Amino acid sequence: MGVLSPELLELAEAIKTRYPAGRERSAVMPLLYLVQSVEGSLTREGLREVAGLLGLTTAEVEAVATFYTMLRTRRTGTHVVSVCTNLSCALRGANEVFEVAHGAAGIAHGEETSEDGLITIHEEECLGACDAAPVVQIDFANHDRVDPERMRELVAALVAGEIPAPSRGTAPVDFRHASRILAGAEEPS
Amino acid sequence: MSKPVTRVLTANWDDQSVFGIDGYIAKGGYEGLRRALSMTPAELIDLVKVSGLRGRGGAGFPTGVKWSFVPQDTGKPTYVVANFDESEPGTFNNREIVEREPHRFLEGMAIAAYAVGSHKAFIYCRGEFLWPGQVLDAAIREAYSKGVFGDSMLGGGHALEVVLHRGAGSYICGEETALLSSLEGYRGQPRLRPPFPAVEGLYESPTVINNVETLATVPSILVNGAEWFAKTGTEKSPGTKIFSVSGKVERPGNYEVPMGTPLRQLLEEHAGGVLGGRRLKAWTPGGSSTPMLTDEHLDVPLDFESVAAAGSLLGTGAIIVMDETDCIVEATRRLVQFYAHESCGKCTPCREGTWWVSRVLSRIELGHGRPEDLPLLDDLGRNILFKAFCALADGAVSPIQSSLKFFRDEYVQHIEERRCPFTGKGPGVHGAAEPEGVVVGA
Amino acid sequence: MVALTVDGKEITVPKGTLVIRAAEQLGIEIPRFCEHPFLSPIGACRQCYVEIEGQRKLFTSCTTEVAPGMAVKTQNTSDEARRGQVANLEFLLLNHPLDCPICDRGGECPLQDQAFAFGPGESRYKEPKRTFPKPVVLSPLVNLDRERCVLCTRCTRFCDEIGGDRFLELFARGADERVSIAAGEDFRSPFSGNTVQICPVGALTSVTYRFVARPFDLSKADSVCGHCSAGCNVTLNARRGEIVRVLARDEVEVNDAWICDKGRYAFRHADLPARITTPLIRERGLEPASFGEVFDRIAAWSKGAPVAFLAGGRLLDEDAYALSKLARVAFDTNDVDHRRTFHGGQAEEVAAAAPMETTYRAVERAKVILLAGLDAEQEVPILHLRIRKAARAGARVFVIGPRRTRLWDLAEHHLCLPEHQTYVLEKIHDGDAPEGSFEARVATALREGGGEAVVLAGERLAEHPLAADVALSVAHRYGARFALVPRRAGDRGALRAGVHPALLPGGRRVAAEDERGEVEALWASVPAEPGRSTRQILQACADREIGVLFLVGVDPVRDFPDATLAERALSNVGHVVVQSLELGALAVYAAAFLPAAAWAEREGSATDWEGRAQRIAPVRPSVGVARPDWEILAEIARAMGRDLGFASIDDVRAEAATLLAPREVSPRVTAWTGTGKPQRLGDMTLFTYPLLVDEGRLSEGASELKAALGEEAFVEINPEDAEKHGVADGGRALVRTVAGEAELPVRVTEHVAAGALFVPFNQPGLAANTLLSGGFSTAASIAPASSTASVPEVEPAGVA
Repeated sequence: MGVLSPELLELAEAIKTRYPAGRERSAVMPLLYLVQSVEGSLTREGLREVAGLLGLTTAEVEAVATFYTMLRTRRTGTHVVSVCTNLSCALRGANEVFEVAHGAAGIAHGEETSEDGLITIHEEECLGACDAAPVVQIDFANHDRVDPERMRELVAALVAGEIPAPSRGTAPVDFRHASRILAGAEEPS
Repeated sequence: MSKPVTRVLTANWDDQSVFGIDGYIAKGGYEGLRRALSMTPAELIDLVKVSGLRGRGGAGFPTGVKWSFVPQDTGKPTYVVANFDESEPGTFNNREIVEREPHRFLEGMAIAAYAVGSHKAFIYCRGEFLWPGQVLDAAIREAYSKGVFGDSMLGGGHALEVVLHRGAGSYICGEETALLSSLEGYRGQPRLRPPFPAVEGLYESPTVINNVETLATVPSILVNGAEWFAKTGTEKSPGTKIFSVSGKVERPGNYEVPMGTPLRQLLEEHAGGVLGGRRLKAWTPGGSSTPMLTDEHLDVPLDFESVAAAGSLLGTGAIIVMDETDCIVEATRRLVQFYAHESCGKCTPCREGTWWVSRVLSRIELGHGRPEDLPLLDDLGRNILFKAFCALADGAVSPIQSSLKFFRDEYVQHIEERRCPFTGKGPGVHGAAEPEGVVVGA
Repeated sequence: MVALTVDGKEITVPKGTLVIRAAEQLGIEIPRFCEHPFLSPIGACRQCYVEIEGQRKLFTSCTTEVAPGMAVKTQNTSDEARRGQVANLEFLLLNHPLDCPICDRGGECPLQDQAFAFGPGESRYKEPKRTFPKPVVLSPLVNLDRERCVLCTRCTRFCDEIGGDRFLELFARGADERVSIAAGEDFRSPFSGNTVQICPVGALTSVTYRFVARPFDLSKADSVCGHCSAGCNVTLNARRGEIVRVLARDEVEVNDAWICDKGRYAFRHADLPARITTPLIRERGLEPASFGEVFDRIAAWSKGAPVAFLAGGRLLDEDAYALSKLARVAFDTNDVDHRRTFHGGQAEEVAAAAPMETTYRAVERAKVILLAGLDAEQEVPILHLRIRKAARAGARVFVIGPRRTRLWDLAEHHLCLPEHQTYVLEKIHDGDAPEGSFEARVATALREGGGEAVVLAGERLAEHPLAADVALSVAHRYGARFALVPRRAGDRGALRAGVHPALLPGGRRVAAEDERGEVEALWASVPAEPGRSTRQILQACADREIGVLFLVGVDPVRDFPDATLAERALSNVGHVVVQSLELGALAVYAAAFLPAAAWAEREGSATDWEGRAQRIAPVRPSVGVARPDWEILAEIARAMGRDLGFASIDDVRAEAATLLAPREVSPRVTAWTGTGKPQRLGDMTLFTYPLLVDEGRLSEGASELKAALGEEAFVEINPEDAEKHGVADGGRALVRTVAGEAELPVRVTEHVAAGALFVPFNQPGLAANTLLSGGFSTAASIAPASSTASVPEVEPAGVA
């Protein structure tokens, strides 16, 4: 029994058809998102399954997966909090926001993910929302103008099992859900 | 001379009705496409050429000329790829275009497809744009249901299929050939040119890659004419441009002004001036990859030629503003770390050069600088500039060279005082050891 | 042609030539790492910068094509270029560890050499270097020291473009970028060793060579690989007389720059304890003797008794010629054969008479390639790479056989039973197969390909009556080139030399008086009746009709596809004389042993599948009193009172040359009425061939190779057949043939034709020749091993 259920396998085949015949390799990224949406990160089995679906070697798939920031082969929390610390956000205090986030989530220095596996916090590069600096994404949903106090509130909400409302759009339920959306597996609401 | 048009792309941004296709059409949307379909592709390309529209993604290449490079009758399908990978630090105009009026961009893409004979278009949307991607997904479905996309665009006979493809977090995938590599399912590393994408791009087939803002500009040219477009802006940089202003300003945001508007006007009339009334210290005209300029350059007109003459580049028109309280060394360090982090690793000067410079700058910033560091940085900048496989490395060199040019004394101060004069961090103060880890790699 | 200057020197080169190549032709060396003449340009390392007059930026000479009137300035005449190169080397060495004292590459390292010649004297880098755990074991053959890697991507490009085994890839990005395999998926490719040789630093190293020697310790000799008929050019390296390494030598006409892992890593067999380096005679047991004593015995045994000669695939051309002459001149017999099972017919004659009709180049340039009965990757690996090269250039490749080969990503395979291959070829020949069928597609492709098509028939095809000639006819019909491809290194040379009951040197037929006469002009006499084939000779031995059987570099008990017959033959024959490097299982049968010199210890020529003869040179003197085969055979002649006329190897070559000049083979009308509706051998057909890495004698001692690529014996079966017979993947099954039975692990796969069972010829756990009755395929039955139901007896349905 692989990572993808029969239903998701059907979806995987449909994803491949987005691309011209003979060019299904293009589907490697959405399929990696799909597998990530099931397991919360990319496991060895997940990588192998994508390789099998596309007639590639596992190494070829892993080569692609490890190139990108949003495809995670490391241990990942239920929620991924991205704090932009690039220049525009740093100028508006993002470094402190990042430190505060780490502390609020109880993540050890040098680590990314909380012990209980709830939250991963990492620094991000420019998220293209500099008008609302400092920018934080929770499972890739944008939160504008996050100061240290707001950051504490956001983390507290996650810890309490709530999903804070983002500044635009609707928030994914968690990182898995976000991956599913990114695979193009969800109808837009 | 008539008053220059100032709001074209952003004209409807206060009107929420244009978000959906019905509201967009009600305000005249897709009229440009209708007109395009009544012309021959050759006439259409000519129109865009005459307008003088230049790409808004950073390179500033004339759009009509780019379209004309696509060979017909190769027996291979032609592709249009919209570059929505917007990742240049400080840039956020593509995002807002899509969030507020997605159909303006889609219309431009459809016109481009017709012009070059393409029946399949891909939108490469950066992964972090979760919501904008969903917006596009819905807008594309709307467009299909209204007969804009599909077997016959607006009944004009030209078929167009549109596919949304999401990235997964990589700045280099905004580079044309790296984007194609990523879209094909490979690592996002740039490819050799020749062959050029126009001839052998996506799937070894003729391909046109355009920036979202560039495409969003096209419908207005169809509706109002090439001459109208050329009347705004400057002779060599016609039209309006959305400048993304961020950093130490009162009102960060996207502001559409005619090309050639000086920074001072943009800053004071639109962005509310420097935050807290402070003094402008440094700014980028086109995002972090363009050399910094200073308050000496407040009156530089923001167009391709003038900015180049001032020693920088217009790039994406992302204005990042720093004031007198900001440490240039820290800013430069953070930017070079960005490039090191995003370097694809393919070529030696970028991969090793950004690694090296990051480490040197970290040391200097935290008070562990050495006297030989500055001539070293000068030399490294020269050794990296134009020596790498693609322009990412050149982007890394911009902050290095420009900060050393205008703020060398700040570097000297860090080295001599063995601490950062702005944050106070340094070995003398905390007894901190030399910095160890520098974040590189994904 | 394009005229340009490099450093002021003029040169004219073909359009499309890279600047770096043009410079090389002028003797100007531009430093580089990622560039390799057989890999696609990538421009990654940025080391090969040159200045081009009129251009603002520097250009990488490895990605820039020449243009008319271009004025190129290398580091020799351009300060800009030189500074760029110096800076680049400083960058490359940034994170490079100071491993030289312990790195295998030291002394023959492009990074060392180029840093010394083109780089800065010192580095200004005074920061911590990025480190990786090391070494990373990529496979039992290849280690990776990541810190040394300069990310030139030669290895990953090789795997992608040449080998097609994409196990090595780049992971991560930026300074974190690293070469890697997917965890748990070893670098399991028969070509992996090539990446070690092309790695420009000591990042990829061979496990067999780790810490073994420095280049200045080594004696070197140019040679040709003796593992198969590919004819790969190699360099042997020996340290204090022991062979420690084999490297590929560049030869664009043969192996490009590659060898397979067997050729690279199986080099120990001549140094194993089992090697015997003195003559032996059986008294109470086998005891050391002198050559003279052995020759006297041979003369005595042969007096008035029929004598026969069997040879293997180990002989060099001169040995084969000497053997061919010895049998006829000193023993008045045509009972001499090197083949295992062959119905070569006219195809064989053509191969014997006309060398170089079809070459590697022809394959590389072909627009259409048809393979029948040949698994090139396992049998002649470098030919497999050439076929891949042709396919990448757009050639259409078709494969007929019972098992899918690893051209599966580039070729259309038609799986059919071995006994049906002839029928498929006939349909292609006749060109009237139903539209849309495989045969119709191939016929159309061949018709359109014309002179740029190649038909390659493996020796296993030739064991079916008429099959080789049908394949030859297919080629003739469509104007395509043809080659009969043997497996073993000495096969083509032996055929050409006439180590064959019915063919004399140059493919001259024994039975044709005028052709025989041409040989008799040099040899004095040749018996007029064709002799017996290997199988017939063994049968005659078993029937006690032979007095002395010479086994020259062959062990029929291991090699002949009927182990039972071989054993009976050796038991019943009068005397067995073994001439080889070791005895192995023949010890119990041998009456005498003559020690032969290994290829690494002597001069000689080896003829590859194309018919190309290539010289080898020794890397060390013969061990003990071992002597080249041709010398021993000449002495045997003398002991029989005859003189072959060979005082030196030059004598052998000179005489052979006169008989081996290319000859026309008069085309005979090969009329056949068709083999008709394909007959099946039985319920199931068992077929076998040797895999690349097996228990063959030349691979003995190659423990790392076997750990990486070796497999235990197994049986492959199609899913439908598996279900029908109740065997499951991973389970065990009892396979039974007329000759014997074996219990084997089962692999269910679609890659085997319906009705067929594949068993590898010689893997640990099964010597498949114990299941065979004279050919490489036979009727068989299969049932689950645990089944208590009796395994059905095998009823052969047709001619085996």
